Amino acid sequence: MEDELFEQRTDLGKLNTAVEQIKASLAKVIIGQHESIDLLIAGILADGHMLIEGVPGVAKTLTAKLIAKSIDAKYSRIQFTPDLMPSDILGTPVFNPKTTDFEFRPGPIFGNIILIDEINRAPAKTQSALFEVMEERQVTVDAKTYKMEEPFTVLATQNPVEHEGTYRLPEAQLDRFIFKIEVKYPSLDEEIAIITQQHHQKTADQLKDIVPVLSGSEVVALRRQVLGLHVEEKLLIYVARIIHESRNNKSLFLGGSPRASLAIINAAKALAAIRGRDFVTPDDIVYAAAPVLRHRIMLTPDKEMEGVTPDDVIAQIIQKIEIPR
Amino acid sequence: MLKVAAIAVFIFILVSLIPGSAAAAIKKAPAKIRPDTSNVSIKKFDAGALNRFKSDKDFNYDGPGINRQESIWTRFWRWVWRTLFGWLGNATYGKYFQYFLLAISAGFLASVIFRSIGLDLVKLVHRDAQKVSVPYTESLENIHETDFDAEIENAVLQHNYRLAVRLIYLNCLKQLSDNHFIQWQIDKTNSAYIFELTNPELRQIFSQLTRRFEYVWYGNFAIDKQTFGNVNRLFQNFLKQLP
Repeated sequence: MEDELFEQRTDLGKLNTAVEQIKASLAKVIIGQHESIDLLIAGILADGHMLIEGVPGVAKTLTAKLIAKSIDAKYSRIQFTPDLMPSDILGTPVFNPKTTDFEFRPGPIFGNIILIDEINRAPAKTQSALFEVMEERQVTVDAKTYKMEEPFTVLATQNPVEHEGTYRLPEAQLDRFIFKIEVKYPSLDEEIAIITQQHHQKTADQLKDIVPVLSGSEVVALRRQVLGLHVEEKLLIYVARIIHESRNNKSLFLGGSPRASLAIINAAKALAAIRGRDFVTPDDIVYAAAPVLRHRIMLTPDKEMEGVTPDDVIAQIIQKIEIPR
Repeated sequence: MLKVAAIAVFIFILVSLIPGSAAAAIKKAPAKIRPDTSNVSIKKFDAGALNRFKSDKDFNYDGPGINRQESIWTRFWRWVWRTLFGWLGNATYGKYFQYFLLAISAGFLASVIFRSIGLDLVKLVHRDAQKVSVPYTESLENIHETDFDAEIENAVLQHNYRLAVRLIYLNCLKQLSDNHFIQWQIDKTNSAYIFELTNPELRQIFSQLTRRFEYVWYGNFAIDKQTFGNVNRLFQNFLKQLP
């Protein structure tokens, strides 16, 4: 109906087709988790890294693997363990007896879609190896810098920090993830569907059926398209006000960074594109706020003791700020 | 020479480390009782000094000449204390009362500590307490105080159709709020209002109108007089449908 009045300025046809195809192929294997899948796709389109958190057994790794499989690009998986060293991730210079020289052997981080499973099993020393590569998309070893190929996306899974044998990720690293996606338990109907699907041994076959929907270069092109979407100035101010309020909120010890502001804008653009619009609305911003901010903000100890969650505080912050209309 | 001395020191240490029982086994002598034959001299208090102290009234705490008359005030409080806490003279009750006082003191101390660090004890117990309404102020215009007809007319006269669409949409929200279809709140997004509408027909039309508003206001789509006329007509038709 709106097409009669307003002509589309941006052709989002290819993007929307690809998104629908990814969702359809994932739906064959993953029951439910629609919000998580939407956010994963949005995160990839927004050129961000994603942290997927959930208790064991809720298909975090499977979802991340399937998303990675939907893109025809170099996929690499790193299982984080307590004894993992930075060089095990980044790579290390190895002596070549033939040339009598040291040659850099790239680590598993050199890929396009990197799945880091159980990221919080490794201590801070290992986590810090990811700082440069996640933000600057490059690795520096022995004073030599190696640029990462585009697209470069890290999908990391973790169990909640209260669980045995885990470390809390450094704030500097958490800030580098565009979203923290919380995977919840399935509903009763979804649980029944999962069991039924497994009982009929469909899952294993359907896993093989997942075919790449987009190539790496197509992902890069779609990212450029998403980046160019329109955002009204009043919405930019709205985002800035949300982040500013997070810094002054009494329930918070640490508020959002400027990187968080940029992340909300980029995520809102990707969500708008997925929803078929070439401009951002306050709905996109409000939807993106919680997954963008929940891992970046830190509650004061008293609020933590009271059982307040980051999502509660984010909701309160959004309640305080008027929707620009 | 030095070597011999070192060996001697070593042997001395070794011997000194032998336990008492072992040493006793080496050199055992029969026990012998030795009576104490020293003279015992009995010392007595000076009778004169005792008499002097006894006659000194400063040391006379009880007895004739002592004024035991208490004031009425003291007797009153003695009575109050005896009436209220006389039962504490009972050993069992007194013990429990001691624990009670300790618990009260600990509670008071904890409350002082929690208050000093800004922790609300009530919220600790009732986890829902954090869901409080957040105070806010409206920075933009209040839809209930705006004269929309005049504002829309003014915007159309200035050919500011974009602003006119915005005012029409805000007027639409006002009408929905006045008719209790939605509850106006500054933090609610357009889709929140769409979901508040329970009438499916109204919801569908309002959803389409919202899309138009969003294209114009957030999408910065160009709108001319003719398009504005079409949009305005759709909005007016919607408002006519409201009871």
